[in-house]
Amino acid sequence: MENRVIKIYHGPQHPGITGNMSLELDLLGETIKGARTHVGYLHRGFEKLVERRTIIQAFTIVCRICVPEPDPNEENFARAIETLAGIEISDRAKYIRTMVLEMARVASLLLWIGGQSGSIGLGTVGQWSLFDRDLILDLFEELTGGRVYHMYIYPGGVRRELPDGFLDKLFELLDYLEDRLPLYDKVFFENATFKKRAIGVGVVNRDEALKNGYVGQVLRGCGIKRDTRRDNPYLVYEDLDFEIPTFNGCDVYARAMVRRGEIRESIKILRQIIEKMPKDGKIMQKIPKHRRFKIPKDDTFVSTESARGEYSYYIAGDGSEKIRRMQVKGASLIHGFTLLEKLLIDEELSNVAMIMNSLGICPPEIER
Amino acid sequence: MIEKLKQNYEIEEKNQRLFKIRIKQEELITVISSISSTTNFITLSQIACADWIEDEVFTLNYILTTDKRDKNLMVEISIARDNSSIPTLMKLFPQAEVMERDLHEMYGMDFIGNPTLYDFALEDWKEIPPLRREFDTLEYVNSNFEFRKGREDNRDVKVEIKRRRAEAKKRLKDGK
Repeated sequence: MENRVIKIYHGPQHPGITGNMSLELDLLGETIKGARTHVGYLHRGFEKLVERRTIIQAFTIVCRICVPEPDPNEENFARAIETLAGIEISDRAKYIRTMVLEMARVASLLLWIGGQSGSIGLGTVGQWSLFDRDLILDLFEELTGGRVYHMYIYPGGVRRELPDGFLDKLFELLDYLEDRLPLYDKVFFENATFKKRAIGVGVVNRDEALKNGYVGQVLRGCGIKRDTRRDNPYLVYEDLDFEIPTFNGCDVYARAMVRRGEIRESIKILRQIIEKMPKDGKIMQKIPKHRRFKIPKDDTFVSTESARGEYSYYIAGDGSEKIRRMQVKGASLIHGFTLLEKLLIDEELSNVAMIMNSLGICPPEIER
Repeated sequence: MIEKLKQNYEIEEKNQRLFKIRIKQEELITVISSISSTTNFITLSQIACADWIEDEVFTLNYILTTDKRDKNLMVEISIARDNSSIPTLMKLFPQAEVMERDLHEMYGMDFIGNPTLYDFALEDWKEIPPLRREFDTLEYVNSNFEFRKGREDNRDVKVEIKRRRAEAKKRLKDGK
């Protein structure tokens, strides 16, 4: 029978796609010969909506830009506004924000374990990791009132004081999660099926990783130690002791092992935060009422290390109470196009979902 | 590195890790290729655009980042809002392709040499590019979509808040 290239759409309705996007694949048998990314299934026009709202009204929607990772969006937005408005937040607020970001990182990495294990048919692992993630969401609910979208990191500080006994509960949860990690090693990271599927697949060219703007585990999975928390520190990361896990291999397995190390490091960071957090201090600075809250005609660029890499915001003010321009660059914009389209060539169709998951692609933040 | 840049450009230091230079549109390729080849600002992190309709310009900030990812440099150019076209940076940075494609769709500017300036997040968009300031989201929604039935008694939020406050005050005054 004659070999011919056929075209298929992998997504948007496909269990192996990370969110609402599709890949247009040219297949020769099971081998991919061409790949194009299509987004737009979840375009909500946030950047335009923000321009119509006051700063505080805009704050309520930025968390929705990335569904699995709302908190880096809140942090970027708040920090950019504080930079432009000249607001310095208290040490206690900085510690609380760092705590929220690290809790969000662990939650997001557990969600990732669920996604990645599902992509290779290890369904049980996902049930475990999503259960564990839910325990973090319980704490988020207690702290902020919301499980997924928190609207907690506010320009000027954080919105609420910690509930009584919150840090004790967090401490207990960290003990529990630490006990669970060896189980994840057994069923997932050291699983023979996963190793066989992931080693040597989706190999990123190490030489072009820095110049092409790759971030997060893609860089660290190539053995390149880059992390915004360390390289361009914000909040209290300079005062905390933690390692940047790296792994050589540049493949799907290397990126998974980096994430494995990051869960451990985040737990370590959270323990230090519990120990070092100042007992007193204002959690919110005095800011003008929302219709009188103006930022000067100026611009800034801020970055936060999300669970998938550097997440950046450009914000420009025009002297009014509205933002002139907010431009979001999620961790996966470059990974979803520049990298993925190239990485899929000559890969097998069955590896597409696994490679996408390993790159941490999140379409909602690409199309905003 | 920053000292080296200061010899050739006027640098605005936004903070210890964020710097900005302003250049002319026609210098874009020369300056960026020179900076990326002679300093540690080797990667392009973002191309950020803002519409200053009152001045009839767009500002484009090319945000370059060091190999250590510890400093950012914003290279700003201003371009005319009408018939604006600028050269692509794809040859220097492959990631510029998707960034330019996004900006082309949202603002309508052309990036000469970029072959992928087709639909990005929007599909069959016939209106003016939506992130231009003159595009009115509310007017677009009112003229293109119908509101679901059952909401005919919707009230203006501001009017409703005022009415409720007035009622509460009256109740307080009457001692109820």
